[in-house]
Amino acid sequence: MNVLFPLLFLVVILAAAVIFLWPLRRSRSVKKNEYENPSPPLFNEEFAEGLSLPPADLSAQQLQCLPEPELPHYYGIDRMVLLARDPHWLFAYWELTATKQDEFANHYGLEAWSTTHPVLRVYDITGIDFNGKNALGYTDIHISESTDNWYVQVGEPDRSFCVDLGRMFPDGRFITLLRSNAVTTPRASLSDRLDEEWMWIEGLYRTIGKFQFGVGSPMIVEELAMRSAGLPLGISSPGFKQEK
Amino acid sequence: MPRGYLCLVLHAHLPFVRHPEHENFLEEKWLYEAITETYIPLIQVFERLIEDNVKFRVTLTLSPTLISMFTDPLLQERYVRHLEKLIELADKEEGRTYGGPFHETALMYKKRFHEAMFTFCDRYNRNLVTAFKNFQDQGRIEIITCAATHGYLPFMMIYPEAIRGQIKTAVDLHTRHLGRPPAGVWLPECAFAPGLDEILKECGLKFFFTDSHGVLYASHRPRFGIFAPIYCPSGVAAFGRDIESSKQVWSTQEGYPGDFDYREFYRDIGFDLGLDYIGPYIHPDGIRVHTGIKYYKITGKVDLSQKQPYNPRQADEKAALHAGNFMFNRQHQIYHLSNLMDRPPIIVAPYDAELFGHWWFEGPKWLDYLIRKTAFDQDVVEMATPSDYLRNFPCNQVATPCSSSWGNKGYHEVWLCGSNDWIYRHLHMASEMMISLASQHSNAGGLYRRALNQAARELLLAQSSDWAFIMSTGTMVEYAVKRTKNHLLNFFRLQKEIKGNYIDEGYLGNLEYRNNIFPDLDYSWYTNTNELPKAASL
Repeated sequence: MNVLFPLLFLVVILAAAVIFLWPLRRSRSVKKNEYENPSPPLFNEEFAEGLSLPPADLSAQQLQCLPEPELPHYYGIDRMVLLARDPHWLFAYWELTATKQDEFANHYGLEAWSTTHPVLRVYDITGIDFNGKNALGYTDIHISESTDNWYVQVGEPDRSFCVDLGRMFPDGRFITLLRSNAVTTPRASLSDRLDEEWMWIEGLYRTIGKFQFGVGSPMIVEELAMRSAGLPLGISSPGFKQEK
Repeated sequence: MPRGYLCLVLHAHLPFVRHPEHENFLEEKWLYEAITETYIPLIQVFERLIEDNVKFRVTLTLSPTLISMFTDPLLQERYVRHLEKLIELADKEEGRTYGGPFHETALMYKKRFHEAMFTFCDRYNRNLVTAFKNFQDQGRIEIITCAATHGYLPFMMIYPEAIRGQIKTAVDLHTRHLGRPPAGVWLPECAFAPGLDEILKECGLKFFFTDSHGVLYASHRPRFGIFAPIYCPSGVAAFGRDIESSKQVWSTQEGYPGDFDYREFYRDIGFDLGLDYIGPYIHPDGIRVHTGIKYYKITGKVDLSQKQPYNPRQADEKAALHAGNFMFNRQHQIYHLSNLMDRPPIIVAPYDAELFGHWWFEGPKWLDYLIRKTAFDQDVVEMATPSDYLRNFPCNQVATPCSSSWGNKGYHEVWLCGSNDWIYRHLHMASEMMISLASQHSNAGGLYRRALNQAARELLLAQSSDWAFIMSTGTMVEYAVKRTKNHLLNFFRLQKEIKGNYIDEGYLGNLEYRNNIFPDLDYSWYTNTNELPKAASL
């Protein structure tokens, strides 16, 4: 008897909790009708609810508004991709699996992860076949644990780069975890390489003079789009209210 | 022989907006508007020029998504219904504006819509590709292709197979509909990265375009700047966009389309008139849309409410004037350049086709006048397409063009910024999976072949640069995000099913019905070619 009583009490409390909290949860799930659901973990929970106990009063319209499935943020593959955005900036994104973290811990000890911090090492590999040791130079960027993408300002047109994501020990030791592909930043000026057999005609370039990028139809398209009546390639966007 | 050449390029493209699941889908209207306001007016310009026996050469891109929509029976049917409603509205407008300052313009629209119906249904049996093919077969326009879904190619460089998928699909579709393989390609957003040319060459393409600095900053330095093509090391020719002629037309400050006599884009009866009247002609949910009936001229730098009535005849005179001015400037440019070069210069003037007619209402008229004046009033400038030029001048300097695009700031920032950079994580993953699927399932048959082909279609659709562009401009973002995510999710589900040896035929069939683009696509174009630089970890 002494054992049963507290158990019964627990059951009553649980039942009460379910009765009071259930409507709260349902209303939340119905309200979620945006395509863009910034918090993927929430979705799993709601999907499961919908399956087990669909609220009876959900109309067809509301069903359509239920959150749509979200893309996974990670795919369980160790990878780091580097893109050259313009002559001065690179963009890198990456994904580091738990397996990789385990490997690191196995190698350097269980404490190693917490005593180190993540660093992006940006190598200048212009004109060389990079093997991890022969870079012309490198820059370290100290980042936070949760970061998984980064815009790197290299400020150097027409140079080649590669980025490592690694962990740095307090003593400065750097251990590479991921290595990106190599990219070359675009040129931002005329080439210095003049063909020996070709003559350089000054007058021709003088006619061009100073110019601005993007004084072409894409610029107009963009402006139209900003003014909220034009759309991809100039097509007006029906359904979008004019600003005026 | 002329002193120089003018290479006019019109790039016609819209993303694939076909939504059989809804009767009235807002984004589908982009296509209908562009047909009425741009594609049909351009077709009519070319028709009249040919009737009058005017010699001309124009280069036109028909993007594979646009060809697919032009030839789609559902969209053709829906366009006819859309145009019928528009004609009904124009008839009402004739009465409503009677005796007022808008009446003449109202009559103009009525006439245009009836003509559009005739062109679309009677003349070309609802398939506008036929029209362009006719002009091509008569030697008047050179039609080139684009990437299959206008994918942003420089960001696919780590997966050459993904680029190959975009280009091969495009060349295949183009050849089927236009009866001959394309000689050249319009790189989506003019976006080039060194190495791309190798894949173009592999697919039989002989030339492409870059923005001015793409050729200007090439290495070695091009002797003739942007006034002659260069050959990439692969032998594919690159033509650089002329700065002067672009600016003349498109500068928001000094460009022709801003002339005060031209039609004002932002005053449309779809927004101006009461719901009780205009209701049946806008979206059924009461969302106001552009109808295409606009009665005001730009007037000046005044508030939209202060605009004056449009006068079609005045605007027409301005278009003729501007065409003359454009030609005069090209003549001078060419006089000057031809003294500095050992061959006639070529001025490359590429424009988005949709800006003609849709946004710059008088654009097709301007083009008509420009072509006639060039043909009859002078002999300094002659129109030529890139193929014409390369035939006459096959020897060109070898140089590697510079990575570039024609977007804001000239490089890749528009398609890689805070608002859209998240897509590449997923697009790259899907590309990698597609390549591995194709490589592991050579010669798949039956259901597997269908699933593999559909997976490739979903990947292609997710890759449209249009989505990234819309995200970066900040309007209609929701639609672009949704399209990107949906196609990727479809892809990942198919990928899982193929790998798991269980294909849900109902689901597959539904995707094939909804996203029915590229029926002849072959997933084996994604097969690994072992040249893949590894992006993954050590």
